[in-house]
Amino acid sequence: MVDDRITTADDRTDGDAPLVVDGLTKEFGSIVANDDVSFAVQEGEIFGFLGPNGAGKSTTIRLLLGLLRPTAGTARVLGADVRDEDALTAAKSRIGYLPSTLRFGEEVTGEAVLNYHGAIKGEARRAELLELFTPPIERPVREYSTGNERMLGLVQAFMHDPDLVIMDEPTSGLDPLKQERFNAFVRRERDRGTTIFFSSHVLSEVRRVCDRVGILRSGSLVELENVDTLLHRGGKHVRVHADDAALTGLTALDGIVDPERFAEGIQFVYVGDTNDLLRKLAAYDVRDVEIGEPAIEDVFAHYYGRNPELDDAHGEGGGETGAGPGSPSQDSDGGPGGV
Amino acid sequence: MFETARYEARRKIRGTLILTAGVGAYAGFIVWYFTVLEGVDYEDVFADLPPAMLEAFGIENLSTIEGFLGAQLFSFVWLLGLGLYFAYVAGGTVAGDIETGRIDLLVSLPVARSRLLVEKFAALFVPMLAVNVLGGPIIYVFVVAIGESIPASHLALTHLLSIPFFLVCGGIGLVFSVAANRATVAERGAVATVFVLYLVESVVGGADEYDWIQYLSPTQYYDPTPTLIDGSFDPIDSAILLVAFAGLILLSVAAFERRDL
Repeated sequence: MVDDRITTADDRTDGDAPLVVDGLTKEFGSIVANDDVSFAVQEGEIFGFLGPNGAGKSTTIRLLLGLLRPTAGTARVLGADVRDEDALTAAKSRIGYLPSTLRFGEEVTGEAVLNYHGAIKGEARRAELLELFTPPIERPVREYSTGNERMLGLVQAFMHDPDLVIMDEPTSGLDPLKQERFNAFVRRERDRGTTIFFSSHVLSEVRRVCDRVGILRSGSLVELENVDTLLHRGGKHVRVHADDAALTGLTALDGIVDPERFAEGIQFVYVGDTNDLLRKLAAYDVRDVEIGEPAIEDVFAHYYGRNPELDDAHGEGGGETGAGPGSPSQDSDGGPGGV
Repeated sequence: MFETARYEARRKIRGTLILTAGVGAYAGFIVWYFTVLEGVDYEDVFADLPPAMLEAFGIENLSTIEGFLGAQLFSFVWLLGLGLYFAYVAGGTVAGDIETGRIDLLVSLPVARSRLLVEKFAALFVPMLAVNVLGGPIIYVFVVAIGESIPASHLALTHLLSIPFFLVCGGIGLVFSVAANRATVAERGAVATVFVLYLVESVVGGADEYDWIQYLSPTQYYDPTPTLIDGSFDPIDSAILLVAFAGLILLSVAAFERRDL
């Protein structure tokens, strides 16, 4: 089913796609947060925008919302050029947005926030969404947990029944159970025709829900792939506690990348068949073993090559989420527009 | 229509009530203090002060309730205190949202940036009007309560003429708010600017060569004491303030539309 979707998506022209990014470039002083990024998201698909922290994902998203002006290139969101404020403003009534840093105004209640947003953009699905996500809307936002803030954010993002929803790290702060509920919800929304674009640095999350994935690294789009390919390439992060004989034996196993010894153990990325690994492990005296998702940075390092210089530049201030107002210009006082 | 202005105005109600209560209480204290000082010969007390000082604090008519209120209440609270207050509050208009990241959600709404900014500023009318519309009658009642009288029309006019002055102070705050990335920077910058302009105006008033500098200060165009005493005022002053306010708003909107958030 996923493959069908991709084929049809690729056959279509990008011209009428809900989201078309074309050579989008954003520089903050000497830092290139987005470097000539191009891709298109087709109607009714879930597109994962994947990349390590600091890769420039939030910058792209904030360019799409018109919060930042592109240095070069442009993007069309529901047909509106992001450089054309009037057109983009009109399109925003059909866009839902969940920013990475959610701030509503501390003293107001969740209900007041929803009333305000609802009055401007509509709230046809508010009641239905409040049954699914259950932030305590009668309480002031300052009393909310991170999870409750996220849920309030999700309600406002979807309550006007938008055609396109853009989310920046939507599941950060949600517990695993709520994440699952969120994943199921996003799939249902996709099935009713909503186009969904979200960023993440968590590989497993993107694998589970996305139809297609764009990978951003150091401000550039590295690759567009479907999820199966990504899944295939991902590998497993393995950490084994065992005696020396076992560790030496394991190092020789096929499919082991980047083995690293530590006291009484070894960790590596395993790209072979999981059953082979388990059979091999069973032959040794293993005290403990963890098999899990590799860190996304490791995946990039293995499959797309490492470029420490570039990584460092963007790790410092590539317009990523953590710093709040998004652009590095605002982290340093001397930035554009700074007083 | 005006959802943002309504929403932001509602968020200001609490602060407005506290502000009005504070100003009302201070007005009560000043009116009571007038009764205490009755019979003091002010000309004598302040004879040694330089003329610039006398003018700056409007000391010439302290023996009447109008003059006393003009000097002790309006020159301090309206001209200085509230002027600084509105510069401060306007400084936080969007700089706070940019700092916290709340601007992301606001700009994601289908509302143009210019409109968002103007509506957010418009919410300042709540404290601006409340402090005058509630403050005026409170002062009047206090004055009557001590057995004095003050022409209601003069009092009302003094309050009315403060609005263009407050708008300019707020406009200065708004310019700082769209230029800065942090609320504290914008708020302090706005307060410092209005305060320095006030000081400069007070100081250079006497020096002929540099007296043009005083015309840069909004405090030059709002003089509550004469209005309280005999209802006199210069319409051109209010006109200058309103034009300056329009200019500051246009400047803020242009800067806000162009900047990265």
